[in-house]
Amino acid sequence: MKKLDKHQHMSTPAVAARSVGTRVLRSEDPRLLTGRGEFIADIDLPRQLHVAFVRSPVAHARITNIDLSAIRDADGVALAWSGKDVAAFCEGLVGEMAVEGCVPTTMPLLAGDEVLYVGEPVAVVVAESRYAAEDACELIDWDFEELPAVINMDAAAAGGPVANPQLPDNLGLNGGASFGDVSAAFDQAAQIVEGRFYTCRVSAAPMETRGVIADYEWASKTLRLWSNTQMPHYLKYMLTAYLGFPEQSVEVITPDTGGGFGMKAHVYPEEMLLPLLAREVGRPVKWIEDRRENLIAGAHAHEQYVDIAYALDAEGKITGVRTHALGDGGAYHMPPWSMAVEPWCAVVMTPTGIYDVPAAEYTYKAAATNKTPVGAYRGVGYMAGTFARECLADDAARALGMSPFDFRRHNVVREFPWTNPQGIVYQEGSWRQTIDALEEMVDYPAFLHRQAQLREQGRYIGLGLSCFVESSGESSATSLEHGLGDVYHDTATVRLNPNGTANVTIGLSAQGQGLATTMAQMAADTLGIKVEDVSVQTARSTDHAYGSGTIGSRGAVVAGGAVARAADVVREKVRQVAAHMLEAATDDIELVDGLASVKGVSDASVSIADVATAIYFDLDSWPKDFEPSLEATQAYDPSQAMFSNGGHAILVELEAETGFVRFEKIYSVEDCGTVINPNIVEGQIRGGVLQGIGASVFEELAYDESGQILTTTFLDYGLPTMDVAPPFEIHHLETPSSHSASGVKGMGESGLIAAPAAVLNAVNDALSPFGVVLRDLPLTPEKVLDAMSVATTASGPDEGL
Amino acid sequence: MKPPKFRYVAPRTLDEAVEHLAADPDAKVLSGGQSLMPLLAMRLAAPSILVDLQHVPGLDGIEDQGSSVLIGAGVTHREIERSDVIAQRLPILSSAVVHIAHPQIRSRGTFGGSTAHADPSGEWPTVLLALGATMHAVGPRGRRTIEADDFFVGPFTSTLDEDEILTHVSVPTTRTAWSFQEAAVKRGDYGLALVAATGIPRDGQLAEARVSVGAAVGSVRRLTDVERLLSRGPVTDALAEEAALTAAASVDPISDIHGNSEYRRKLVASLVRRAVLELKNGA
Ligand SMILES: Cc1cc2nc3c(=O)[nH]c(=O)nc-3n(C[C@H](O)[C@H](O)[C@H](O)COP(=O)(O)OP(=O)(O)OC[C@H]3O[C@@H](n4cnc5c(N)ncnc54)[C@H](O)[C@@H]3O)c2cc1C
Repeated sequence: MKKLDKHQHMSTPAVAARSVGTRVLRSEDPRLLTGRGEFIADIDLPRQLHVAFVRSPVAHARITNIDLSAIRDADGVALAWSGKDVAAFCEGLVGEMAVEGCVPTTMPLLAGDEVLYVGEPVAVVVAESRYAAEDACELIDWDFEELPAVINMDAAAAGGPVANPQLPDNLGLNGGASFGDVSAAFDQAAQIVEGRFYTCRVSAAPMETRGVIADYEWASKTLRLWSNTQMPHYLKYMLTAYLGFPEQSVEVITPDTGGGFGMKAHVYPEEMLLPLLAREVGRPVKWIEDRRENLIAGAHAHEQYVDIAYALDAEGKITGVRTHALGDGGAYHMPPWSMAVEPWCAVVMTPTGIYDVPAAEYTYKAAATNKTPVGAYRGVGYMAGTFARECLADDAARALGMSPFDFRRHNVVREFPWTNPQGIVYQEGSWRQTIDALEEMVDYPAFLHRQAQLREQGRYIGLGLSCFVESSGESSATSLEHGLGDVYHDTATVRLNPNGTANVTIGLSAQGQGLATTMAQMAADTLGIKVEDVSVQTARSTDHAYGSGTIGSRGAVVAGGAVARAADVVREKVRQVAAHMLEAATDDIELVDGLASVKGVSDASVSIADVATAIYFDLDSWPKDFEPSLEATQAYDPSQAMFSNGGHAILVELEAETGFVRFEKIYSVEDCGTVINPNIVEGQIRGGVLQGIGASVFEELAYDESGQILTTTFLDYGLPTMDVAPPFEIHHLETPSSHSASGVKGMGESGLIAAPAAVLNAVNDALSPFGVVLRDLPLTPEKVLDAMSVATTASGPDEGL
Repeated sequence: MKPPKFRYVAPRTLDEAVEHLAADPDAKVLSGGQSLMPLLAMRLAAPSILVDLQHVPGLDGIEDQGSSVLIGAGVTHREIERSDVIAQRLPILSSAVVHIAHPQIRSRGTFGGSTAHADPSGEWPTVLLALGATMHAVGPRGRRTIEADDFFVGPFTSTLDEDEILTHVSVPTTRTAWSFQEAAVKRGDYGLALVAATGIPRDGQLAEARVSVGAAVGSVRRLTDVERLLSRGPVTDALAEEAALTAAASVDPISDIHGNSEYRRKLVASLVRRAVLELKNGA
């Protein structure tokens, strides 16, 4: 495996924690919770026009004729384009990832000769109002010949009718690898446990849908693009690379954003079209996605089968793991990533988890289908892979007659650093402690007692366990260690003001994670000032700090590292001047609690505010050759992959009359190294686990056989609501990272990564008297009641099963 | 999701409202808009003109008339939820109303709008059928009343004429044994199955039982086989079990992504069982 050369920007300063670790209230909240946020829909530019899309009503068809003249003649319409019109400017967006067996696709901005999924944009209309634009959309005159709709990923992967002519084998991805002697492990196994697990197609369904506003000024060739993207700098790069807008005159602006969860970590046709439209009509253009569009045409997620098998020796130790993932990628690779985000990530990132498995083998395939492309959603691949692994762990425990805690403890990695069969190094972790902590929190013997008692009354409760390892702080090193070559790094700018307060800008746009609060904590501790004296600007504009995107649980780690490094440069300046003022050596100056003090000399100190004032206004306080800028920009990229870990235990009850799964309690253990702010970490856990509950029980983007999507409103697509959110008990373990700033690790995805496995395990535990094991999500009331149907005869389940 | 163009009028009298409806066959009444506006926004309906009832006097009010309560079509779900008259005289309505959507929608949506809409998943159609309510309507041909049994005739279809306005619903208060049962995945969701059952306790038995089912079926309907069963004798656990089986045998539930026909049949049976057991305790 390739290793990264170590560069300067990979080291971070050591800092005394003051506000880090405390429950600082989110500085964003007074503004956001009282309706003072400014989201993209709130922004109106003078003279703006509105955009609406004609989207394909059929799953797969050849367009034989398309005529927009009636649209163009309609009241209030300024412009209408079909695929032909836009192809002159851009052929489409390439989706590809540098992994073995990835066949790239080009997604046109508007469909060309063929439409490949329901919801694919076919034409775009610019009009005086959104009403006029939607009225005009209804006037489209087009003919198409329907082609066979490829809906089922198993059938697609086996060949047959082609979903997308760019992928004649219906495979966007096909590869695999083997590490260690897997065949021997399976040949010599005392027992093999295996299963096929299905994670259904879901939507990230952010509270705020997508939106784009473009404003082009022809005289200066200046393009301003507002988008609630998670990757503003990448989007800016794409606007230059694909559309030729001059890089130095493009600004991407990210206003307040109501959730992204990966859905907004793509580059979409709509983001490429709006600038072209603005340039063409000479007026600003605005498109706010409506909820129906979001459910149909925002990237879908998570749909795949994972076949997983453990070879177990006579002692019940896992000696090898085989994992085969087949993802339903939809009609195209979702730019700029690809179908790899699901099946490839699942098999490459997750099969060993917390277990000491010496040999691993995997294959991955992604089938093209005539459905919406599958993109990123919190826990890409990790969710499906963790789901399969942790549910198989429970199957293995059942097969061995062990408790789920004992089976996991029996197999858990105990010594660090640990290198998995692929050669990926896990520097540290509290993997065993997580199992112990969860077992204690749930009081397992008491649970078993209660479960037995309730069963006698015809009530079925179940406890499900799931332990995870989460790759966090997405970095060049993480990418390289997993066989890719993507380069990541972010910058931050820190400025100390004359009164000793600080302003910080980071290159990451925020979608609600509280980055302005946690980054203020990091800056405050590094500078030795109060957290209230720091104001953080998350990326509102690409004119400020640079960032590789708010993705891959990297915010706290990467922006935190950059902030600490930049603040450290400023700190050095303060120390130099303080040393001069106190007539001491710079090396002896500490900055803590608002004071610059001489180490070990109790009364030799000056306030940091006074030092700052002096740097701005008092030449006499400067040492010789002093350079007075109190503003620094620094980059950061972790030098190695880093992994957080933890687990959840979920307690459910199944309603015997309805098949409803009721959630009684969630127990969560999280180890993300140094916790910057427990409130924020706990918020991430709650939100993520609830999304996991949604993806397990309530949510599914359903299609019929003709490729029509059936879940186009929240009436039919069921998101979890507060009434199904159970109480949480959260326990923090802290195993600091060996190399990040302050020992922080990322944890933004873990709730969704690990909760579905705990839910399925809990349901299967509750179902155990019925002798039924479920493996497919979502766990609809119908499936659960079917599984319990043995009990609908008055006598109850046969305990002998 | 923007509605197509429509005209809008806000008449100040009932007569004026009726005139607007009579003048244009594509006119539609607008009450709370909680069902109609989504249909417009999704372009599933395109009326030429909306006749808004919110300024029409006389459609409000909950009036205790002794053996019945007269409820104005413009009364919101929220007003029903908070009404003392309803709580005392028609507790089945108080029990059902909290299942309708969320407070925001209950504050806008109306009793009359919901009844006229005749959504098979709506709580009111199922409840009104089980109570044997009487609908009061006015149209260009004058006033008339329609019994609940003759009112709900199909999915989203009532016997109200296109140019008629539902003004009030008269709900009998004599059915003091009652039960309302709903199976919904989450609070505020439309139910997967609804069952309402009522009767008049008489000599330790239940007289004139009415049992209705909604949501699981294409249109709300009574379960007359179950009703006959209940009139046979005292309500017992065994009778509840039999009622569940009878209900399962006599419904023809719908299938959709939220549950297939067999699943909904089981739900209806469970809800009927629960309802009858509650009647037993009430009788
Ligand atoms: C998110 C959401 C969830 C919901 N959940 C539920 C639920 O769980 N249960 C439930 O029962 N409902 C639910 N509803 C619907 C809600 O209860 C509506 O209030 C109700 O269906 C219609 O009442 P309205 O006053 O809003 O009528 P409108 O939407 O104004 O009208 C509905 C229809 O009735 C006609 N109409 C209205 N008033 C009259 C009248 N007086 N005479 C003749 N015709 C009339 C209209 O022309 C229209 O065709 C939900 C709505 C939403 C938006």
